[in-house]
Amino acid sequence: MEALNIQFAPATGTEEEWNEAYARLADYFRSYRLHNRIRRTQLILETLRRAALAHAREPQKKPTAHAIEQARAMMQHWLRSIYSDMQMTPAQIEASGKLGFYLAGGSERWPQFFLDENNPPEEMAEAMRLAVRTSGPRLQVSKMTPRDIDLGLTEVAENTFDRLAKEQWARYVILAVFVLLVVGYVYSLLR
Amino acid sequence: MSSPVPPPMLPGMPPQGIARARRATFFVLTLLGTLLGSWLLTIYLSASGWRWAEVLLLLCFIPLYYQLNGGFWTALIGVWLQNRPEDDPLDLWKTIEGDDSAISASTAIIIPVYNEDVTRVWEGLRVTYESLAKTGQLEHYDFYVLSDSDQTNKWIEEQTAWLELCRQLGAFGKIFYRKRRKPINRKSGNVSDFCRRWGKRYRYMIVFDADSLMSGALMVAMTRIMEKNPGVGILQTFPKQVASETLLGRLMQFAQALYGPAFMAGINYWQGGEANFWGHNAIIRLEPFIKECALPPLPKTVPFGGHILSHDFVEAALMRKAGYAVRLLNTIRGSYEEGPPTLIDTLKRDRRWCQGNMQHFWLLFAKGWHFMSRMNFFHGVLSYVSSPLWFVFLVLSTYLAATPVMHDSAQVARAGQLLLWLTVMLIFLPKVVIVLDEMFTGRLFKPLPQRLMTLVGSIADTVIFTLMAPVMMWFHSRFVVKIILGQGVSWVAQKRKSGGGVDWREAILTFGGITLLGVVWSMIAWWVSIDFLIWISPILISFLLAVPLAIILGSSKSGLRFGLFLTPEELEPPTVLSDLEDNLAEVKTRLQLPPEIEKNYGLMQVCLDPYVNGLHVSLLRRRRNTEDSSEYLEQIADRFIKQGPQALKPREVNAIINDTDTVASLHYRLWSASENELAPFWSLAIKQYNLASTNPFTHLLANKGGDTISSSVAQD
Repeated sequence: MEALNIQFAPATGTEEEWNEAYARLADYFRSYRLHNRIRRTQLILETLRRAALAHAREPQKKPTAHAIEQARAMMQHWLRSIYSDMQMTPAQIEASGKLGFYLAGGSERWPQFFLDENNPPEEMAEAMRLAVRTSGPRLQVSKMTPRDIDLGLTEVAENTFDRLAKEQWARYVILAVFVLLVVGYVYSLLR
Repeated sequence: MSSPVPPPMLPGMPPQGIARARRATFFVLTLLGTLLGSWLLTIYLSASGWRWAEVLLLLCFIPLYYQLNGGFWTALIGVWLQNRPEDDPLDLWKTIEGDDSAISASTAIIIPVYNEDVTRVWEGLRVTYESLAKTGQLEHYDFYVLSDSDQTNKWIEEQTAWLELCRQLGAFGKIFYRKRRKPINRKSGNVSDFCRRWGKRYRYMIVFDADSLMSGALMVAMTRIMEKNPGVGILQTFPKQVASETLLGRLMQFAQALYGPAFMAGINYWQGGEANFWGHNAIIRLEPFIKECALPPLPKTVPFGGHILSHDFVEAALMRKAGYAVRLLNTIRGSYEEGPPTLIDTLKRDRRWCQGNMQHFWLLFAKGWHFMSRMNFFHGVLSYVSSPLWFVFLVLSTYLAATPVMHDSAQVARAGQLLLWLTVMLIFLPKVVIVLDEMFTGRLFKPLPQRLMTLVGSIADTVIFTLMAPVMMWFHSRFVVKIILGQGVSWVAQKRKSGGGVDWREAILTFGGITLLGVVWSMIAWWVSIDFLIWISPILISFLLAVPLAIILGSSKSGLRFGLFLTPEELEPPTVLSDLEDNLAEVKTRLQLPPEIEKNYGLMQVCLDPYVNGLHVSLLRRRRNTEDSSEYLEQIADRFIKQGPQALKPREVNAIINDTDTVASLHYRLWSASENELAPFWSLAIKQYNLASTNPFTHLLANKGGDTISSSVAQD
């Protein structure tokens, strides 16, 4: 990052617009849980400086939009410098890279190096890369194929007859039930 | 994969001789009781010849009496087993006595979720994980949260909770989160999807429900039992209901603690190797499960056909058909679940279960089932069909009372009285015996005052359950009729905490009809005769009091203050439970945001928070969009920013949050927009977001990871 320039006098845009951009950037960098106020202020001013240049080139866009766009560009450059040796697309670097910073505890351990693409400490870079390397278990695909269940009612009758043929006790049960039914009927007639 | 069919006598499969003897004992006693009751009723009804209503009454009576006898003998056999001096030769615990060797098998613990309370799910996972870690066997277990949540907020919350819990526990590579884009075939499809993707990596899988809780010691013991008993395909524990706060919840957990063990022992006695799988708190041998237990759709469409809803019974039957035993493990501690807090929530759950059980009618006669699997299906169907049978029985009783015939024979009168007392005995004796057993043995509580309170609690629960039963009967009857008429049920997340109980309006709308029915029926009964009114009064009182009963049962005045309905888990909570309660209490103290923001917290996070946005985009599968779909997504995203999330339909929100490019660009578009370009929701959200949480991921979880961000933000 270039040396900090405290002077901020944008050539285009109103004071109100730049104040809004400032407030939004402050909120945005806080959302990174960057609680080092000095670093946050440095980043806000640097981003505003870049946004002012961009706004001069493209004044129809609001300063807030330019500010966030610059913050995103700074983030993309910074992450690319850290994850350049990993096989990831720019979109993956942007998404997973931010997460890597969080998982490595970056906002607490190295807040002063957040978005600093010139001097990232190797320890921080390695911790961020390690956090991204951890992934889910590799698939080991197996087949789980439903088989039809034969719902045929005739099967029950078949099974019953098979069972009756094999199981002597079942025949006695049927006989006993039959005898009981007959006795019951006779009893009801004789009453 | 080798053939899963094991030789018939692999350890774990009960010897056929013992299994048959036990089953014969149970069914002979049950059928004799049914026969006796039916015979007495036949004598009573046929005194002056048969009328059509009497024949119908008898036909309704037989299955009802079979069910009553089944419960009676199950409980009595259970009490006998609990007091028998010698050990059960089939007890699986004996197979691992003195075994503390290291485990070699890998086990996956899977938690299928669907729009559940995220905090409860992940804090439950945390305490289970920590409990397993204490056993020293954690390396053999992996955790999978398998999400089918279709509410975007829940989805994002699940992702953030996963990341944070992994970070706090150092469990990346141990705890995995997977979200299905389309929840095909609901829970069973969710589990099948896991089996297809990762099933080969594991020998066993322990299935949790979203509200399940298990101790590490029990899970390790279950794995050891499975290792020692290769003939067991599914080992089901007895999950005890815990953590209830309402009267109904505490009543259910008290009843389950007091009567449950005896009933479980009895069921275990006669089910043997053909027990049921209840869908959770069980361990499953994965190889045969994958090969043999995939569920085909049933013929016809919903509600009777289509996708199998109550998959667990069918999976148990398929596992048994494949030659593996399905066993019930006698567990007093270590396996827990939560129950519905109110009567209305219980009925909602029952409606779902009812349809699932009714579907099993198709399977009753399918080819190749073990006889006991058929009986399990039959008992499942009967458990709901018995309600309309009971209702018809009562209607016919009213009709017969209104058109009386002379029963002047002493034999007929004696048969009637005998049947009445026999029925009273069948209903109440199991409870009496179990309570006496508790009084003498102190199985639940050793101190005498607590045993006496158990007696008082048992009397109170008998009164309340007597009032509840007819209401349940009415609703179950309606469910059965509606299902037969083709009205299926939707898949809704189960409510497990009271969240304010039941209000009068909701109770009147739900139970007003049954109260009216009670009034009309009372008038008819009074017109018939005073004797009949007295006979049917327990049913009518229940109908008349349904509204206040629902309010009282859903209230948080649960008798705890007076020491009523206490359970051992309330008096001495196991570590997993007390840790969970502590963590949940900690989360409750977090800062609450304005309701509008709180309702859409997940959405707000994924759009505004750079880390959550990064996490979500990383976990999404990238898809190539067509020009049309890109235009459609762009249009929705515009409305999302300018009008807020409330202006979009849920499927529109899902569409943009499911698209990697849209969700990544939304983050920057929102932060880039000027105040006048944003919906009021987003203006407020941007201002509030950084104040809301000290850490984007700890909003829903207890902070046990020594997070230092919170202290730094306090100075910010």
